[in-house]
Amino acid sequence: MIPHPQLQAADFTAEPSTDSLEQLSRPSLSYWQDAWIRLKQNTRAIISLYLIIGLALFTVLGPFLWTKDPSAQDLDQISQAPALPKTALLVSDYEPWMPPNAQGHPAEPAGYPDTLDAVTNFTTVGTPNTQAVRFTWSPVQDAGGYSIYRSESEPNGLQGLGLPLETLNAGNIVGFEDRLNLKSQTYFYSIIPTDGFDEFEVVTTLKVTPVQSITVSQALERGLIEASDAPGRSVSLAFHPFGTDYLGRDMLARLMQGARVSLFIGVVAPFIYVLFGVFYGGFAGYLGGKVDQFLMRFADFVVALPFLLFMILFKIGFGIGPGESGVLPMLVALILLLWPSTARLVRGQVLKIREQGYIEAARLLGGKPSYLIARHIIPNTMGVILVTLTFAVPSAIFTEAFLSFIGMGVAPPTPSWGSMCNEGVKTMLSHPHELFFPALFISITVLAFNLLGDGLTEALDSKMRSRE
Amino acid sequence: MGTHKLLEVSNLSVEFETYGGVVKAVRGVDFGVDAGEVLAIVGESGCGKSVTVQSIMGIIPMPPGKITGGSAKLKGSEILGLDAQAANQFRGKEIGMIFQDPMTSLNPTMTIGAQIAETLKVHRGLSTKQATEIASELLIRTRIPEAQKRLHQYPFEFSGGMLQRAMIAQSLACSPSLLIADEPTTALDVTIQAQILDLLKELQSRDGMAIILITHDLAVVARTAQNVCVMYAGQIVEQGSVDEIFYKSAHPYTLGLKLAMPSNVSQQNKKLEPIPGSPPDLFSPPSGCGYAARCPHAMRICHKENPPLFSDPREPHHAARCWLQAPGAPKTEGLHQLHLIASHGE
Amino acid sequence: MLKYTFGRILSGLVTIWFIATATFLAMHAVPGDPLMNEKATTPEIRENLARKYGLDKPIAEQYVIYLGNMVQGDFGISFTQQNRKVNDIIQDHFPVSAALGILAITFAALGGILWGALTALYRNQLPDIIIMFLVILGISVPSFVFAALGQLLLVNINQWFNISFLPVAGWGTFSHMIVPSLVLGLGTMALLTRLMRSSMLEIVNEDFIRTARAKGLSPSRIFFQHQLRNAILPVVTVLGPQIAAITTGGFVVELVFAIPGLGRYFVQAVQQLDYTVIMGTTVFYGAFLVFMVILVDIIYGFIDPRVRLK
Repeated sequence: MIPHPQLQAADFTAEPSTDSLEQLSRPSLSYWQDAWIRLKQNTRAIISLYLIIGLALFTVLGPFLWTKDPSAQDLDQISQAPALPKTALLVSDYEPWMPPNAQGHPAEPAGYPDTLDAVTNFTTVGTPNTQAVRFTWSPVQDAGGYSIYRSESEPNGLQGLGLPLETLNAGNIVGFEDRLNLKSQTYFYSIIPTDGFDEFEVVTTLKVTPVQSITVSQALERGLIEASDAPGRSVSLAFHPFGTDYLGRDMLARLMQGARVSLFIGVVAPFIYVLFGVFYGGFAGYLGGKVDQFLMRFADFVVALPFLLFMILFKIGFGIGPGESGVLPMLVALILLLWPSTARLVRGQVLKIREQGYIEAARLLGGKPSYLIARHIIPNTMGVILVTLTFAVPSAIFTEAFLSFIGMGVAPPTPSWGSMCNEGVKTMLSHPHELFFPALFISITVLAFNLLGDGLTEALDSKMRSRE
Repeated sequence: MGTHKLLEVSNLSVEFETYGGVVKAVRGVDFGVDAGEVLAIVGESGCGKSVTVQSIMGIIPMPPGKITGGSAKLKGSEILGLDAQAANQFRGKEIGMIFQDPMTSLNPTMTIGAQIAETLKVHRGLSTKQATEIASELLIRTRIPEAQKRLHQYPFEFSGGMLQRAMIAQSLACSPSLLIADEPTTALDVTIQAQILDLLKELQSRDGMAIILITHDLAVVARTAQNVCVMYAGQIVEQGSVDEIFYKSAHPYTLGLKLAMPSNVSQQNKKLEPIPGSPPDLFSPPSGCGYAARCPHAMRICHKENPPLFSDPREPHHAARCWLQAPGAPKTEGLHQLHLIASHGE
Repeated sequence: MLKYTFGRILSGLVTIWFIATATFLAMHAVPGDPLMNEKATTPEIRENLARKYGLDKPIAEQYVIYLGNMVQGDFGISFTQQNRKVNDIIQDHFPVSAALGILAITFAALGGILWGALTALYRNQLPDIIIMFLVILGISVPSFVFAALGQLLLVNINQWFNISFLPVAGWGTFSHMIVPSLVLGLGTMALLTRLMRSSMLEIVNEDFIRTARAKGLSPSRIFFQHQLRNAILPVVTVLGPQIAAITTGGFVVELVFAIPGLGRYFVQAVQQLDYTVIMGTTVFYGAFLVFMVILVDIIYGFIDPRVRLK
């Protein structure tokens, strides 16, 4: 049954392996090299890393590229939704307009009519613009007046006429001027003839889209035109790619300035308290015994403090003077309250590592405590600390946003993403973009740091390392 | 032979898909177990012995695991590659299994009694009360003191040895004809090891149950098994009876294992000799003999071609996968030479 | 178990004392004095007011009186509404917050366990991908955005279908509670789903699951009896801290949905610098959270035999 092939005598010459027997089959990698390789394979973590770099650039370089003043108000474009650059029709300053009178038509009808015809020739006068929309129409026989309505959606016969603008009480007045908070959008104007008291059930509707306009003097004041420019020309208005807020401030510029506040608090506070926690926890863990017990007891108490309540309390405690933004008190409060979780974690790690065989071995070989800490204990806790730091950032950003949202955060006019959300939520129904953008930025930042944290946890997990 | 073996495994191959590539963990393994026989599978860690039996039981994680070929027949019927429902007709019922670490192999939030009773309820449709009664008897049979009280305790209240007894009790619940013990004593103290092995032997001889014992410990093999398969790098390199393996070792690896094993017999100044090096990377198994790189007697052919199993016609169960056993190979000191029929070739 | 419970309660009391002291100190570190924005026009009125609130006494004495009153469950009188005791405010408004919070945490826990188990069951398949995408959204979007969006959605639903599907704001009936508690529980639910999923996936690799398969148990039995039960344990342990998150999240939800809960009252008190109310509610909330954590720990003990029997 031996299927052996044609064996030659030479096949049986002794030939022990010449390779080194103890060679490793795979190259050796340091802890960080290995973690980096694994992190690079995690697409989500890498995308998050790019996002974070992008956010940092947005915050740091953004204001140099987009130089609009975040506190300047653009009164022509208040609560403007994101749009392409807009132009406005240059019009002369407002001059009162006298509605025309129908010659030979009685102001009051002789008697009360049973029926009235619908208004005819209902048209606009001049170019309808956001300064004023002017109408005229042919007088209706026997009419004693007219009612005019404006709606943003198309009325269905007599239903949904919208806002009553004016009731004219003379049959011979055949003009009307609308100056009520006009925007560059489509309106449906409806006119109904009356007998002087009651409306009749005949309606004429006109669709009008006023063009954005700006008066010469306003335009001059804002430096949009030269003194010599005449009405009728169109001028470009300030461009707001992300729209403006309820005071007409540029959202993009405010988001950039807000990012400075939010990211400053979100990154600096965790960095400081994690650092403090590392020292506190490392100290407690390395010393052990009574000192450790006392230190950790105190940390436990601080952990038990209802965090947000005390944040608020501290904020009141530090007080915000006039002209201060309140960023510093928030930073201090965050640091004072959040260090214990890191301290606990690091202490646990240090206690665990201290008992490991390699520490014992290093000690027996004559390693001094400072050497042990620097060479063995700190490097082995770095992974955990890095992960903690990554996850601490989103929670700090959330905290800032939460406090600013309930009005306990950064004081106006300094914008932060949280306070912008707070302002945006008030106009959420009519201008959702004022809530959407700051909320989006908070969410993206938190998401990116969370995913990066997940990726780091996996990459630094030594269990995963040995699994391959 | 007209009758089937209890379990007959042929040409079993298993691969694992991992980050770094495909690991060929088991590369064509054949063996059989008769009713009432104790077969030991020996080898160092990573040689594929656990994967072999877990594949037969259908409990390797799939994916990443994948059975790429071969068959396993229990009493003549194929059990490899069955779906969960079909496999549960024999798992726990025909074949019981115990594992290396009893501490983690039992559900920490269920009482021991409930875990044993569970098997009985599922396979024999017993009520909780009946099942618990039998569970109590099983605990007594596996020599757990105060069985009644122990039934209601949780795994963390047991010592390691007691837990392994409870594991055995659980695997015996449905009186299986085969028990697979996957390194049953590795995680236990030496004194406890002996007790567990004695218990296994006792149960085997009383109930006529067959046992496949996976171990890396030759002492355990010597103490318990009748037949032995030595595995290396996913293949069986030598198989035979205990005596053949120990006294007529026909593969240099078996010889190496023996030399590395401490013993209390005779030779005064016996020095333990470790086998140098480590097993080959199974991501890309070598084309030649897997042991060639570590073998002190390696020849040119060993690096080129994987040897077949050479078996001795006079002792038909004794076989070795080594070119030194090929007709025409030089005789090597200390290595048993199988009596091959000098034949074809050359 | 009894000893364990007793010890936990004792350390809880010490913690509450610490909270009360920290609150006292923080409030007294405030620059200026609490009567600043009172209508204390003349020095006499100021003095009278100071006497009324006991602010004329030395700090140490104030502290003793404060602790003494607190032990008796008396948090004093509101600064801004002088005929109202802080106790009454808590009594009136806390039940509202509690009802909202309990509904939210129930919803979060049930949802988290259910979705987490589902994602683990359909690992890397469509349900898993969809749910985990939503979970990431849930973790990354601040609670006030959910509150605002929830309300916006309600307004729109009511408008589109021209019905009052659910009330947009206010309090009173169960239907008022549904959307606010859903919104409030969303973040916690996302967190619990994630935790449940990773817990389930970790347990799949446990040795005892392999044993269960080797025993010939059906996949569904392994899933429910062995995997699910053990996977829920770590989820329960984070419920305690999550109650705190839900409590503070409640502030926002109460503000947005105009719910007369204690959270909204607290925010109001903070904005008006109503010192006694701030101190009273802080200590009350602190005590409440400490005991909720203890309660969850004790419940955990009953679920996990390893804790119960030690």
